Amino acid sequence: MLQSLDPRVNRLGLPNEFDTPMPSKEALDQFETYEAFVQVKEGKPFEHVGIVHAPNEEMAFLFAKEQYSRRGMFCNSLCVVKTENIKVSPYSENDIDIYDSFSGKYSGSTSESFEVFHLTKRGKQHKYEGNVLAKDYDDAILAAKESFPRDKAIMNVWIVKSEDIYVSDEEDRDIWDTLKEKKYRDAIDYKASDKIKAFKEEQA
Amino acid sequence: MYGGGNVFEAMKATALADEDPKKLAEFEARIDRGEKIEPTDWMPQLYRKQLIRMIEQHAHSEIIGALPEGTWITRAPGFKRKLALMAKVQDEVGHAQLLYAAAETLGKPREQMIDDLISGKSKYSNIFNYPAFTWADSCFISWLVDAGAIVNQLANSKGSYGPYCRALERICAEESFHLKYGHHCVIHLATGTKKQREMMQAAVNRWWAPMMHFFGPSDKISVHSEILMKWKVKMASNDECRQQFLDMYVPKIWELGLTIPDDKLRKNTETGLWEYTEPDWDEFKRVINGDGPCNKERLAVRRIAEERGKWVREALLAPKAKYVTPLA
Repeated sequence: MLQSLDPRVNRLGLPNEFDTPMPSKEALDQFETYEAFVQVKEGKPFEHVGIVHAPNEEMAFLFAKEQYSRRGMFCNSLCVVKTENIKVSPYSENDIDIYDSFSGKYSGSTSESFEVFHLTKRGKQHKYEGNVLAKDYDDAILAAKESFPRDKAIMNVWIVKSEDIYVSDEEDRDIWDTLKEKKYRDAIDYKASDKIKAFKEEQA
Repeated sequence: MYGGGNVFEAMKATALADEDPKKLAEFEARIDRGEKIEPTDWMPQLYRKQLIRMIEQHAHSEIIGALPEGTWITRAPGFKRKLALMAKVQDEVGHAQLLYAAAETLGKPREQMIDDLISGKSKYSNIFNYPAFTWADSCFISWLVDAGAIVNQLANSKGSYGPYCRALERICAEESFHLKYGHHCVIHLATGTKKQREMMQAAVNRWWAPMMHFFGPSDKISVHSEILMKWKVKMASNDECRQQFLDMYVPKIWELGLTIPDDKLRKNTETGLWEYTEPDWDEFKRVINGDGPCNKERLAVRRIAEERGKWVREALLAPKAKYVTPLA
């Protein structure tokens, strides 16, 4: 049996050598990915923060809360979207507006609701821009082109169907409230200069 | 937390020969302008490969690094230390998630990274192949191994790959608590009773050699490392990181009345560089290749966690399953 300094590891009764290598993981053993967006403060736009792997959107929301709204990372609201449900435009160079590469005409259809996210600068993350009504993803880009006045070139656009977004409920706001009370998780709680000073004086 | 001294893959002389010279020039110009590379951008195969390797090693180091400290959660002295250590270990595992996600944007699935860690194909920071004998070892790790990691991470956060930089920014923000917490723990022991001081000193003695190994062997100036630096994959040489660490932390160790087990260690006032006994690189190689005190344990624990967690993942994969009350 494998011997460890950690009694908990000893209790696992691990073999000294495994007889066989661990079988390779199956595809999607780690689940699909969801893109997470955080709103740091009331009135600020949702901003992309990263991905989580999860079996469904509720779990994705929970994992995203753990991963992206922990201490120091303030959060007012959070939403997740399955990665495959995001339609990504091509990327443009910094000073060219990607909307210029879309030439068709917006149909004017109001059959479906879409949410639009903009990336304005390379190296930054996508920010929520607004909602448009259109007949499909391609139409939604054209609708966004007409709807959102731009003073800066947009590098990249993400389009998501509104129904594919899983967002925290307004009435669940208190789920974000526990963050500030855990002082032991902050650097400021570990002041020790007095102790060092006293120690040095004692040694002198 | 994270291990420095990345093991980069050896580069073949022909590695860049197949790349489109025009695209390569545009790619390099972008990096020269200080712009980030994003997942959808064209990038040379070599850049992609080395970044996957580096970010993946970093992610594995976070996961494995949580093990020697995790050992001490239940035995940390007092409720507050337990809470803080638990928070720190949770952070480290969270960092691994952020890093796996960054590596995934380069096209390697998370399943494959976990496979490669457990099979021994991918490496993690060598320092975690050493055991934490006492609480003071855990304090040393929290303060100084994290400090070494921060030196590395701050350098890397100025690198060229967007998703990795963004993950590192989040990680560095959390590391400040780890560092302060670790320092606080060490100060408490070093300024405490005779027995506490002895325990802290013994930990410093045990961990100094692995700490010097942490940043990796001196990098030879090669075409390879020149390209990695030019592409801002590698941001500082191993020696630069080691020097920076010594400069920042040796005085802080000394001011606590602790000694460092290297009689050659001193700062050369003329060169401004630290002189030290050359670490035993044969031991470093031996341990990184599997023959350290804890390599087996670390991977076995990781493997068993995957195997025993399988039912949870399977259960989650069937969201329509219903709970049925047991009959008896």
